[in-house]
Amino acid sequence: MDKALFKVKGIRAVLAKLAALTVIQASMIMTQAFYLAAAISSLFGGDSFHRTARELAIFFLALTIRQGAAVWKKHIAFHFAAYASETLHAALLEKLFRLGPRFVKKEGSGQTVTLVIEGITKYRHYLELSLVKLLNMALIPMAIMIFILSLNARSAVILTLALPLLVIFMILLGLAAKTKADRQYESYHLLSNHFVDSLRGLETLKYLGLAKSHVNKIAYVSEQYRKATLASLKIAFLSSFALDFFTMLSIATVAVFLGLDLINGDMYLHPALTILILAPEFFVPIRELGSDYHATLDGRNAGKKIMELLERETFQELDTLVPVWDSSTNFTIKGLSVQYDDYATALEDIELNVTGAKTIGIIGASGAGKSTLIDVLSGFLKQESGNIQINQQRVETLAAKSWQRQLSYIPQHPYIFHDTVLNNIRFYHPDAQANEVYEAARYAGLLDVIESLPEGLATMIGDGGRHLSGGQEQRIALARSFLGKRSIIMLDEPTAHLDIETELELKEKMLDFFKGKLVFLATHRLHWMRDMDEIIVLEHGRIVESGDHEQLLANKSVYYQLVKAQEGEV
Amino acid sequence: MDRENWIIAYICQYSRFFVLSIILGTLTILLGTGLMFTSGYLISKAATRPESILMVYVPIVGVRTFGIGRAVFSYVEKLSGHSLVLKILSQMRIRLYKVAEPQAFLHRSRFRTGEMLGLLASDIEHLLDFYLKTFLPSVVSIFVYAGLIIWMGWFSIPFAIIGAMMIGLLLFVGPLFSLLYMKARNERLKRLKNGLYDKLTDTVMGISDWIFSGKYFLFTEEYQKQEQESYKLERQKLAFTNGRDVLNQFVLGGMVILTVAWAGKLTAEGRIAPVLIAALGLSLLTVLESFLPIAGGVSELPAYQDSLRRLEAIEREKPPEKEVGTEKPSAQQQSISIEMERLSFGYSPGEQLLNEITLSINQGEKVAILGRSGSGKSTLLHLILGSLSPSSGEVKISGLHPCRIESIANWVGVLNQKPYLFNTTVINNIRLGKPDATIEEVQEVGRMVDLDEIIANLPNGYETLMEETGQRFSGGERQRIALARILLQDTPIVILDEPTVGLDPLTEKRLLATMLKTLSGKTILWVTHHLAGVEKMDKVLFLERGTITMQGSHHNLLETEERYRRLYKLDRPFS
Repeated sequence: MDKALFKVKGIRAVLAKLAALTVIQASMIMTQAFYLAAAISSLFGGDSFHRTARELAIFFLALTIRQGAAVWKKHIAFHFAAYASETLHAALLEKLFRLGPRFVKKEGSGQTVTLVIEGITKYRHYLELSLVKLLNMALIPMAIMIFILSLNARSAVILTLALPLLVIFMILLGLAAKTKADRQYESYHLLSNHFVDSLRGLETLKYLGLAKSHVNKIAYVSEQYRKATLASLKIAFLSSFALDFFTMLSIATVAVFLGLDLINGDMYLHPALTILILAPEFFVPIRELGSDYHATLDGRNAGKKIMELLERETFQELDTLVPVWDSSTNFTIKGLSVQYDDYATALEDIELNVTGAKTIGIIGASGAGKSTLIDVLSGFLKQESGNIQINQQRVETLAAKSWQRQLSYIPQHPYIFHDTVLNNIRFYHPDAQANEVYEAARYAGLLDVIESLPEGLATMIGDGGRHLSGGQEQRIALARSFLGKRSIIMLDEPTAHLDIETELELKEKMLDFFKGKLVFLATHRLHWMRDMDEIIVLEHGRIVESGDHEQLLANKSVYYQLVKAQEGEV
Repeated sequence: MDRENWIIAYICQYSRFFVLSIILGTLTILLGTGLMFTSGYLISKAATRPESILMVYVPIVGVRTFGIGRAVFSYVEKLSGHSLVLKILSQMRIRLYKVAEPQAFLHRSRFRTGEMLGLLASDIEHLLDFYLKTFLPSVVSIFVYAGLIIWMGWFSIPFAIIGAMMIGLLLFVGPLFSLLYMKARNERLKRLKNGLYDKLTDTVMGISDWIFSGKYFLFTEEYQKQEQESYKLERQKLAFTNGRDVLNQFVLGGMVILTVAWAGKLTAEGRIAPVLIAALGLSLLTVLESFLPIAGGVSELPAYQDSLRRLEAIEREKPPEKEVGTEKPSAQQQSISIEMERLSFGYSPGEQLLNEITLSINQGEKVAILGRSGSGKSTLLHLILGSLSPSSGEVKISGLHPCRIESIANWVGVLNQKPYLFNTTVINNIRLGKPDATIEEVQEVGRMVDLDEIIANLPNGYETLMEETGQRFSGGERQRIALARILLQDTPIVILDEPTVGLDPLTEKRLLATMLKTLSGKTILWVTHHLAGVEKMDKVLFLERGTITMQGSHHNLLETEERYRRLYKLDRPFS
């Protein structure tokens, strides 16, 4: 069993309650069997039905109490699991916002959402099921065993021997199935994914003129898949066969030996019948343990993943008050480094010194660290070392809310929420008036688009809503920023994916928007550079050059080479 | 199309296998019952202290046979059920593929995207559970039930009637109520869950904006409120199943008491031997327990309906069978022309996506097509490919309508933004362009697209599986693999549909150079979003709202069009 289980808060009290109920349940199972056997054997002895009424009533009462205990146990387990998963949920969401966009990008947004929703659900079911199962397994067979021992030692011995034998066989067969599965994993995996793969690539197949004939391949692969699956099921089902076989065989053996004892007159019918009724009950907990095996495994793995995520280090968001940026604010970075990890290119020894409004272009080859720099400046990424100062006041980290609230961020693909155009534009300021939003939309050149929408500003956009083109999305982001009136703008490759006509229009809008603001713009597109007050050239995570376009060109160094490479003929 | 067709059709088709599975399932239950019956009989008989052990020899053998038999049959039953279901899976997959295939180009079909189709693939697998977990066990239970009642009636009609009613509670009333009760709740639960999914996805995708807005605690609160609601529903469901389970146990206990009482009465009347009381009581307990899981299986029915509905929807959207083209351009491979004459297209008369385009492209010409999104670029391409038919005017490839050409893929190749690389080996992926290509041919095109070194460094060279290499291949390299495929396909016309979007400028440039070098001599229609590389084209044309607004050679446009000069300046700002 899972040791991590015992770390969940409040589990001891819950386990104690469940254990008490399990003891009651076990004793009722025995009472039930004992009195049913009593009734049957007294009828067998020739008593009339009325004389057995008391026994049958007790049988029924025991059955009721037993079921009551079982239901109560489920109830307790449900609430405990729900409580535990709720706590996890809150912690996980909090963590997610701390880990920020870099984490989401690396893990994939789909994966992240699945972990939070499905992962926690699976873990919850695991908690709910496994607690009850654990206690049933620990208490019920033992209780029944002791009771049977008091009635007939031989039967108890047969059942006791069957249990480890059964477990050993199940483990052996399970291992055999696993080895076989592992050996075939690769081809099996290919076979099982072939169909989905074909559907996903249908368009490509069509372009290649293979779509029609591919159906034969699907039929062939499906047949192979069926054969492979059956071959492995033959072994996988053996473990439940072993379970069945040993259960049935030991019940049969118990019955035969009981019969012999009875013939020899060593025993009465009543205890023999009690044992016979109890024998299947003895195996029920272990059968339950085997069922939902995959659900249990999934839940355990999900739990592990969630814990790993929660233990992941995030940098503390300090509520240091960063001074409000204005046209005389000085922003200095000295010797800033970011260590390489899964998410980021390393940065080394970054120096920066800006005062007031300025447009700063960040340029460099792919993987030079442009996005990493933007992310550090936005407070999504922690610096390893270095000194950040705003107006000579040292700032520990840029993850401070008071810094992020002064920022506006326009990435290559700004996210459009599944909401109205209106709410998307006023995302930072939900209480902005419609006329202010309208003004922002006009500024970003969105009026034509809005007029063409069926419900104007109230039209739903984003996933599942009205589709917008890349240029229109970028305009929404621009309107959002315009309305936000924030004085520092971060842009990460804002126009590279747009068609050139749209790019030209947006560039003109943006340049106007940049006036009076502190702008950091990371891009491959060289045409922005002439409009930048300062250009930072990155190479392998270091600033190798900085200055304006003319200076850098005159340097004939990295920037010059970059320009030459891109300007050259194809 | 018959509504239940996705389910019933296969039951009919494989009726023999279904009968086999049902018989095996029934036997498994009967053998389990037989085990308890003979055990009860055995010890009762033994309790009468017969003279010799031979008197109980038959029940002793019976106990062992039933015990082992049950285990064996249960194993065989499981295997036969799964084998059957896997056969159905093959059939369903073929059927789904045949329905999806003509929709691949249907722009208005919801089932065009890979994601949606992937969902349908899992719907099929879900439907298989219906057979295994609901259909087969239910039918088996009904057979056992019927047998049991007839058998009871053999002894006593009133007892059979009471038995039929009480067990009917387990088998019909309980499941029916579960279905009714769970249906609404499961649906609400699912809606809530989907809502949570959408909400969280929306938030995770826009996480930077939430962080900048500094108000993400609002989201957490809102999210948890919705979660509470789904807990409430689950609690109700749990209470219901708990209640149902308790009631089931009452019925079970009641039935056992009734049976024992009845057997006692029959014994008193001398109609059956007293040794049968225990046998009947114990065996009934076993039979009834096999009925307990039915309610759970039946309340899953609405979930299958969802899957069924989606599968039916795609069949409804299936376009009418298009006539398969039979003609072949008579012109030589080397001189295929494309002619468009007042070509127009719109899904409805009101919306004109392309408006009277007249254009002629000769073999070997290289044409760049630019335009904003929605200007009609991809409509134009699909008209050339014959997957759309013009509303008026015409497009012809060497005098033939594209949709009448026997196999358009022999004449026009396409390299799009995200060519799909299949989860198989590198060589198989490239070979898709020409299935009978020799290894030398594949290596040759591999060299042409400058991939030979990279592939040589893979663990198994050309035989390396794509999945392992997925991480290793960059966007530019993936395009090169797809390009190699196109080269093997060796068509006179190649459509390049924004193959360089998302690549950095230097990678883009190198890829363009490779494409132009390897595709020389072929007609190229290149849809592009900016002007890098247009110098190499014979013609550049700009589409806007379905009409051509600017066209000419690069140099021509540079001289005559001010607008073109400004645009070109964005791509080559310093020259």
